[in-house]
Amino acid sequence: MKYFLAVLAILISTKAYSHEMVPTYPKLEPSYMDGLYKTTMTIFNKRVEVEYYEIGVFTSEWKPIPFVSNYKIYKIPYLSTVSFDIFVRERDVKQITYVCSKSKLRKEDIAVTGVSSKICSKVR
Amino acid sequence: MFKQLSPALLTTTLLSMAASTAFAQNTPITGVVESRCIIQTDMSGTYGNPNAYTLTTTPADGGEMPVIRIDVSLADAYYVSITPPQEFSSSPSLPDQVTWVGDTEVLTVSDATGMGNYETDKVELGLTDRYDLTATGSTWFKTSSTATMGGNKAFPGGNYTALVTAECIAK
Repeated sequence: MKYFLAVLAILISTKAYSHEMVPTYPKLEPSYMDGLYKTTMTIFNKRVEVEYYEIGVFTSEWKPIPFVSNYKIYKIPYLSTVSFDIFVRERDVKQITYVCSKSKLRKEDIAVTGVSSKICSKVR
Repeated sequence: MFKQLSPALLTTTLLSMAASTAFAQNTPITGVVESRCIIQTDMSGTYGNPNAYTLTTTPADGGEMPVIRIDVSLADAYYVSITPPQEFSSSPSLPDQVTWVGDTEVLTVSDATGMGNYETDKVELGLTDRYDLTATGSTWFKTSSTATMGGNKAFPGGNYTALVTAECIAK
């Protein structure tokens, strides 16, 4: 019985697909360009059915704040990690509360019901 | 004193000392564990079709509820919001409005003492259920969803997909 449960646990655990983003509490620091602040985020994609993640920066009331990064939607292949810089204007720094990543599901990759995942880190 | 030791014994002793010196070397392994929230899809759901005008994830009607697992490694740092579908992300052309109902419940937890009150303490905002993750560990949530076609009209044949949204927000 113990072996059966152990095998079952392994099978269940290998079936799980996950989305991670760190740090939980990023800090905005002055960048090498005048008037711009930056932070670095890292996303790990362990969702086999997801390849793209959209980045967003928001106020405490979830109003979007303009930012610059290499891409707004990053291609992150299965089991890979991507780190990216986010640049914001100095005048927006005090309003920024959340930096979020959201999975972008492709229509052909969803079978009946899918899970859209979103992780938001908080700027302190 | 060394005169009393045989050369073989002396060599063995010296080798042992040299080997002991080698074992005393430390090879460091470093690592950093960052606090994080991980959203995992343990099981994708399936809609059953108990009658012509209903699609439901209820197991008794042939459906299967999606199961989402949330892992947190820092206590009291995140809350999670889970919202059942409120529209189809893809479907055939529909003849009428669809009414959606759904609910999320804690299925199981990794720490019954620290997480036992998650279900009773949740905040419901419309279809969205918000949980305060006050303890570290894993929580499994199951989400039910039922779509009913207006006027008891039949769902047209075709493929239907809908999305459950799981959000992990840092406090």
